[in-house]
Amino acid sequence: MEPPAALRRVLRRLPAPWQSALLHARGDYAPWEDGFDITPPEPGPDETVGPPDFVGVGVQKGGTSWWYELLLEHPGVYARPGIPKERHVLTRFCTDTFGPAQVAGYHGWFPRIPGTITGEWTPDYFAYPWVAPLLARAAPDARLLVLVRDPVDRFRSGLTFRLRSGAPNTSSTVADAVRQGYYARHLRRLYESVPAERVLVQQYERCRADPAGELAKTYAFLGLEPFDPPEIGREINVSQGGKLELDAEARARLTALYRADTMELAELVPSLDLSLWPSTSGGRPRDVGAPT
Amino acid sequence: MTSTARRALDRVPVRLRRLLPSDLRADLRHRSGLTVPGDLAYRATPPRPAPGERTGPPDFAVLGAAAAGSRWWLSLIGDHPDVAPGHDSAAAAHFFDPYCTERFGPAEVATFHAWFPRRPGRIVGFWSPDGTAHPWVPPLLARAAPRALVVVLVRDPVERLLDGLDRTADARPAHPGSYLADAVDRGCYADQLAHLFECYPPGRVRVLQYERCVADPVGSLAATFEFLGVDPTYRARPLDPPAAAPRAAGQLDPDTLERVRDLYAHDIRALADLVPDLDLSLWPSAVAPG
Repeated sequence: MEPPAALRRVLRRLPAPWQSALLHARGDYAPWEDGFDITPPEPGPDETVGPPDFVGVGVQKGGTSWWYELLLEHPGVYARPGIPKERHVLTRFCTDTFGPAQVAGYHGWFPRIPGTITGEWTPDYFAYPWVAPLLARAAPDARLLVLVRDPVDRFRSGLTFRLRSGAPNTSSTVADAVRQGYYARHLRRLYESVPAERVLVQQYERCRADPAGELAKTYAFLGLEPFDPPEIGREINVSQGGKLELDAEARARLTALYRADTMELAELVPSLDLSLWPSTSGGRPRDVGAPT
Repeated sequence: MTSTARRALDRVPVRLRRLLPSDLRADLRHRSGLTVPGDLAYRATPPRPAPGERTGPPDFAVLGAAAAGSRWWLSLIGDHPDVAPGHDSAAAAHFFDPYCTERFGPAEVATFHAWFPRRPGRIVGFWSPDGTAHPWVPPLLARAAPRALVVVLVRDPVERLLDGLDRTADARPAHPGSYLADAVDRGCYADQLAHLFECYPPGRVRVLQYERCVADPVGSLAATFEFLGVDPTYRARPLDPPAAAPRAAGQLDPDTLERVRDLYAHDIRALADLVPDLDLSLWPSAVAPG
């Protein structure tokens, strides 16, 4: 439930962890938080529920909010207002029971009307190795989408975003930001549960350079008719403010950390254009905004 | 001011402190300047060397894994008369934490060396339970201590995961995904060792199996002493591992246990290639059920 306007004004003045604490005291939790009630909403009179037709699984700060909104622009894609882009339901079942009741509960988060497809995009799923087997069980026919981005640029954006969102300024938070950029490791694990032909990996930088061409690929992969959404280039949810500054020496070390993984990714995804990534092409880092 | 605030905080009963969510506790610590090892802002001053001591790069390093007995093993190593004390300092253990994003140059290397005083004829070690799980640590350690001998303890990854989650349940943040992913990934030893072997030649790394250390502590410790170049015949004080508390979370149901085991199947196969003397019969996770 949306907090009243007066409370929202108070919350904006508080540090992020205290904002969250106050919201939690009211019983308000974000979908990625433990306290969020994952009981699915009741389907509407014209709606049916079932497994998602598509699931975006990655990556955090890789332009996924923009791309998800473009998916929803298509008349063949249904999303009931109020249901979040990031369901995060499967996040909870690392060591918790995931049986028929939980599968049905997950399906309940995907109401759709006849003749449409529906899905979600939870970018954190990519780095959660327990999610792919759950998806294979709960949505065996779903098509999976991944947007990847230069791993060092993603690291800077991701860590900045997490710290601004109230994550503690600890080595664990940094380690999480590093982990998210090991794309080949995550993709290798994904392919253990989901055949490669049901996974589409695209590059954020290429989507920026040619949104119409790349979106056409996404629509086609999902079996949708060609469609030209208005305002295709208007990115949403771009982070404001500066990003974490990386010392040149630290940046070089991070680039080296990702090098072997990025080379493996290029083998797993032959269409990957490494010349678009400053960290692998030796180019200067570009400030391309900070999408989600 | 800070020490006063720290003393005041220390007087607050632990149970009362735990009424606050972990994210809020961390935020309060930061605002009060009460940083602890693990916080990126934490900085500690190395001890002043005593007369007759010299400092320099550590001779050996014990790099985790967390919840795999590395602290126990380090305490046994440290019992040896040829090993200098002070090896388990939490401040030293977290030394590399900030340097994922910060410059690590000659000054930082010199500060790191200052954490390792020793008298002539003794060796001294670095310990970090995060050392293999935080991938920026091995390259920095290799830069600061290129000739160090490295010991890594591995344990049945599912047992390690469940114990690790149980031990850190109090620190579970509101956003559990990254916490769970960290816990799972810490048991993916093959990925971590492959990275470690890029920084240290395999001949300088000894991988020990926790279960084997428990089953044969005398033999395993003698082998460790021999690897570290100290008298292998020395018998350490009581060798039993710390008694394990029963897990609060209880047991997983069979389907979930199988799912969690499958998470590690690929990594265990890769680990067996990297560490040929690994005894997989000691790991229930690696043994097919029924």
